[in-house]
Amino acid sequence: MTVEGETVGAEGPDTRWSPLVVALHWLAAALLLGLLALGWFMVHGGADAARRFDLYQLHKSFGFLALALVLARLAARRAPGAAPPPAPMPPWERRAAALAHGALYALTLVVALSGWLVVSAAIVAIPTRFFDLFVIPDLPGVGHAQFETATTLHFLAAWLLAGLIALHVGAALKHRFVDRDAVWSRMAPRWPGRR
Amino acid sequence: MVDVPPRIARQGRGAALAIGLALGALALSTPSRSASNWAIDPARTHITFDIDAVAYPRTHGEFRKFAGTIAVDLEHPARSRVSFHVEAQSVDVGSASFNDYVRSAVLLDAPRFPTIDFASTSVEKLDERRVRVTGDLTLLGVTRPLGVDVEVERRGEGTHARLGFTARARIDRLEFGMNSGFPVISRDVDLVISSEASEF
Repeated sequence: MTVEGETVGAEGPDTRWSPLVVALHWLAAALLLGLLALGWFMVHGGADAARRFDLYQLHKSFGFLALALVLARLAARRAPGAAPPPAPMPPWERRAAALAHGALYALTLVVALSGWLVVSAAIVAIPTRFFDLFVIPDLPGVGHAQFETATTLHFLAAWLLAGLIALHVGAALKHRFVDRDAVWSRMAPRWPGRR
Repeated sequence: MVDVPPRIARQGRGAALAIGLALGALALSTPSRSASNWAIDPARTHITFDIDAVAYPRTHGEFRKFAGTIAVDLEHPARSRVSFHVEAQSVDVGSASFNDYVRSAVLLDAPRFPTIDFASTSVEKLDERRVRVTGDLTLLGVTRPLGVDVEVERRGEGTHARLGFTARARIDRLEFGMNSGFPVISRDVDLVISSEASEF
């Protein structure tokens, strides 16, 4: 009568990601959702020329931050001790999850790099001042001819990423509320001082 | 013996409006005096421009610092003169980072070319409300002729008479070697200078 199902999970192996991986995940979540919203708003939001200029500059700075962050995340999850044992899941689910996660990383890289390509190929060459701290150079060997291709790639990859994020969130919520298994808690935010 | 026309010269931050000023006075043909003294109100003087770009809102900007001189000869309009100097660095398009971009080497190149200058070469009365000032505009170190149409409007009466001026011109920036961003950023820059002067 004292304890019920709770202790079962607690005695099993800890399948949670390291605090660093969890922190970087949620940081990336906020950044990518913010960038998608900003990217839409700066084009369709009806802002005037000056405001729009600032929004584009902000989008570029946060975009490079996202590029740095995805590289940091790839490094962090490969660090010794960072990768936990897998959560209990049927093999097909594990394969689908691995595929989706790989695609999330790949698409984030494609969106960020194609954004850099857009900036580098733009006819209106506006220097990328990373949060007004320093200038990020354009990619070498890129000409105006690549502008259309780069823009289309950036646009399509961004929408694909948005769709994949929706799938990812849906799957996570399914584990949390339908399966009620340990998958959600692997990446659930944890606050210092709380277990 | 050359007939020296009576003239006034005014200098000040607002005086770019000189154009309007001078010509305005001409257009209204102030009675009985060959020259009249007009002071430009800097607070009511605006040197603004608009430029279009593809898939981008029309950009509106203003130059905050300028100086000019004006000499009006009402009896011999052609002897009237106007010149002004606009500080390129004072451009304001509504945001600090946007200002930096417009001032940079790709557009105004303000560090190398600190002023944009205009000096009239001829003045022609079009009708009672409009004059046409032709002059030389120097931008990025390149000097090209520029025609400016000036509308004049009398505001107020008697001893507090005020004259409103609106000068319009279209500049082809490519003529001055300002090629950056073309054709995405339009080659045409619409210039509107408005001012108000009062008699003293």
